Amino acid sequence: MSDIILSLEKATKLYSGVPAIEDVDFELRRGEIHALVGENGAGKSTLTKVMAGVVTLTSGAMKIDGAEASPGTPLEARLLGIAMVFQENSLVPTMTVAQNLFLGQERFYNRLRGINIAAQQFLQSLNFDVPPTAIVGSLGAAKKQMVEIARAVLHNAKMIIFDEPTAALTPEERKYFFDLVRDLKKRGVSIVFISHALEEALILADRITVLRDGKKIVTDDASKFDRARIVQAMVGRDLSNTLYGVKKTTVRPAGERVLTIQNLKMAPMVKNNSLSIFAGQITGVFGLVGAGRTETFKIVAGIIKRDFFYGGDIILRDKPVRYRVPAPAVKAGVAYVTEDRKIEGFFETATIARNIYLGLLAKFPAGRALLSQRDQSAASADWVKRLNVRATGDAAKVIELSGGNQQKVVIAKSLVQEPDLIIFDEPTRGVDVGAIVEIHELINRLADAGKAVVVISSYLPEVLGLSDRILVSRQGKVVEEFSALEATEEKIMYAAIH
Amino acid sequence: MFGVLREFAQGFLGRGDATITVPSFDGALKPNQALERAETLFQCDAPEELASNGADVYFADGASLARIEGNGAITIREFERPITALACLPDGAIAVALNGREVRIYADPAAAKPRLTFEGANMRSVNALASADGDALYATDGSATRDVGEWASDLMERGHSGRALRLDLKTRNITVLAQGLHYAFGACAMDDATLISESWRHRLISVAPNGTSKAVLTNLPVYPSRLSPARGGGWWLTAFIARTQLVEFVLREPAYRKRMMAEIDPEYWIAPRLSSGKSFKEPMQGAHLKTMGVVKPWAPPRSYGLVIRLDAACKPMFSLHSRVDGTNHGIVSAIESGDWLYLIAKGPGRVLRLPTEGLAKEFGV
Repeated sequence: MSDIILSLEKATKLYSGVPAIEDVDFELRRGEIHALVGENGAGKSTLTKVMAGVVTLTSGAMKIDGAEASPGTPLEARLLGIAMVFQENSLVPTMTVAQNLFLGQERFYNRLRGINIAAQQFLQSLNFDVPPTAIVGSLGAAKKQMVEIARAVLHNAKMIIFDEPTAALTPEERKYFFDLVRDLKKRGVSIVFISHALEEALILADRITVLRDGKKIVTDDASKFDRARIVQAMVGRDLSNTLYGVKKTTVRPAGERVLTIQNLKMAPMVKNNSLSIFAGQITGVFGLVGAGRTETFKIVAGIIKRDFFYGGDIILRDKPVRYRVPAPAVKAGVAYVTEDRKIEGFFETATIARNIYLGLLAKFPAGRALLSQRDQSAASADWVKRLNVRATGDAAKVIELSGGNQQKVVIAKSLVQEPDLIIFDEPTRGVDVGAIVEIHELINRLADAGKAVVVISSYLPEVLGLSDRILVSRQGKVVEEFSALEATEEKIMYAAIH
Repeated sequence: MFGVLREFAQGFLGRGDATITVPSFDGALKPNQALERAETLFQCDAPEELASNGADVYFADGASLARIEGNGAITIREFERPITALACLPDGAIAVALNGREVRIYADPAAAKPRLTFEGANMRSVNALASADGDALYATDGSATRDVGEWASDLMERGHSGRALRLDLKTRNITVLAQGLHYAFGACAMDDATLISESWRHRLISVAPNGTSKAVLTNLPVYPSRLSPARGGGWWLTAFIARTQLVEFVLREPAYRKRMMAEIDPEYWIAPRLSSGKSFKEPMQGAHLKTMGVVKPWAPPRSYGLVIRLDAACKPMFSLHSRVDGTNHGIVSAIESGDWLYLIAKGPGRVLRLPTEGLAKEFGV
């Protein structure tokens, strides 16, 4: 029997023509723990989803035990011995542990006592201290993880994929999870796990693969890596060759302090977060997924609420504010340009003009509840021109536009409110290259005009190319601040993951 | 009635006055170790304030008035009581506040007799002096109920009896510019107005000659203190301690504070200090401060060192820090003279010096 349990050759997956992974070669050995690391958007999740049958390859080949295989569904992958434990676990919270374990394997006649006993014996054989009769919704994150793992083993998985398995675990639970993984390895199960915590990869893995921009950069024994080498491999792109230009040599000086956030709390995402935002500057906010960046600024914009008790302070121009809905924030000059434009950004079947008008209406300009048709057209025509939205006219529906132009409409919808503080959340996600440049120029123009601009981005070159000041967020709060002059990709990434 | 209900609700929900939050050190206040790198000129028992006439730098050490010479100091004279504030006047005269209750003007630092004396007017805690114009002097009287050395008691009592005074050198009149201040500690001329530090409210205010005041720099993460003019416009603002959530919490608990003040040695109160880490009885210990036996620079500070460079619009440009793991804490005075910035770190009792050109380069201004 071959030592290689799973291999991918020149694996490529395209989403709307954009490669999420490209020509990736990957091998998983029998009984090894293999860590996948990389920035957000590096292609880690896509790669594992291909293995687990959640998505299929556009080109390239996958072999399991030497035989060609291309599972089209997670069920097919499971039958091939591949199980995936997602970050958001896939258990049914209202059912018991035993019922979850045997879900999908029910017989015609099930005896509850029977499956409880079987589950009990099985969990004990794995050394998992989880009561089979407990309702899954009442279990902690680690115990849920155990149930997921048990289910994978029960399905005779030869290979288990973990997506960010320790993100929700406490340090104690994490240690226990490591023991579990090592135990699975002893049983001959191969493990692939995605982690942002490099220490985990270094401690736990036998081999590490680093992905960057959808391509495999390196695969090597974990013992040959140290933290610095991984970070270098994760971020070591040549900046001069990217869209975002060379490193900044000058930064805009800070103007008046527009926003102060003090000890803001919103369990479990925002933990005692404090920061300031200044006028006339672009403040970049970098962090890995789950660092609480979006939530912090959504609280500022009144989209979500902070903790009811001791939720901290938000001070806008020396005045404490607490917005329960976005409308008063808009009136106070705060605009939030969402990261999820399709859900929160626009009304897709409405026209460009209508969308921009709705943005304007949110501020009730000059105390008016409605605007005349002529004012609507004038406002939308002005912004379509200013932002260079390419469409057949302002009567075009937003759904008909490309991603970049849709994003411009979302931005226009916010800028028409004439805000003083503009929060861009992932402003160029899913946007074509030409539009990225235009959006960046616009953001720079806003800062030059004295506006306070916040750019939340998970893409380091964007943060470095745009920001005058960079805040790094980790585990719910800002942990480091850099001037754009001193910041490097390595420094920022180091702060984001340690 | 509604006020009482609102206060109860705020206390219950942790909102309004009961929020117990402090701003972060970011932007121009981003921490560094610049004060730790400063050259220590010499150490003394009770350094209090610096003053410069452009050529010489004078400093007050307890009851002594001294002049800085090279890397040392020459004592010029001794007073019968401690000096609590010092200022040089444009005509070469020097003003000293003694024990916070009396201000004397000497024609020159060595003059035997004072040219002018200001007493009375309920002065109790004069802690800063500044030349207003040729004919007047600004003074801040921190508290009407506590002496200069008892500032921690004033903070714990949430004192708000501070005043800003204008001492007219011609008419000998004392005019109250502002009163009811939450510990006035530092003043400086700002165009037609007076710039005043209000320590317990963490802000700077400007008071116009007609008495109207407005906040010009608010919500600082520190307790601001003395101000001095900077070359090229703007000011140096010293901050003798930093705010912490623990102290903010204690400040909202009157019963606790009352008992603490009655029963515990002031050295060990849950209150800011000018230096710390000297005794195991101090309230912040162990994992508050140390990881693996090493003091965390980012730990909650019981004492801290900070000087802020303000521009002409009172906006912070950059700042110099001595963090929790440092020693140059309790900066109470900073003055620019020649190519140097002279500082007093009252915590360790040091007079420090930093090259201003190097600072401008380092902070890109």
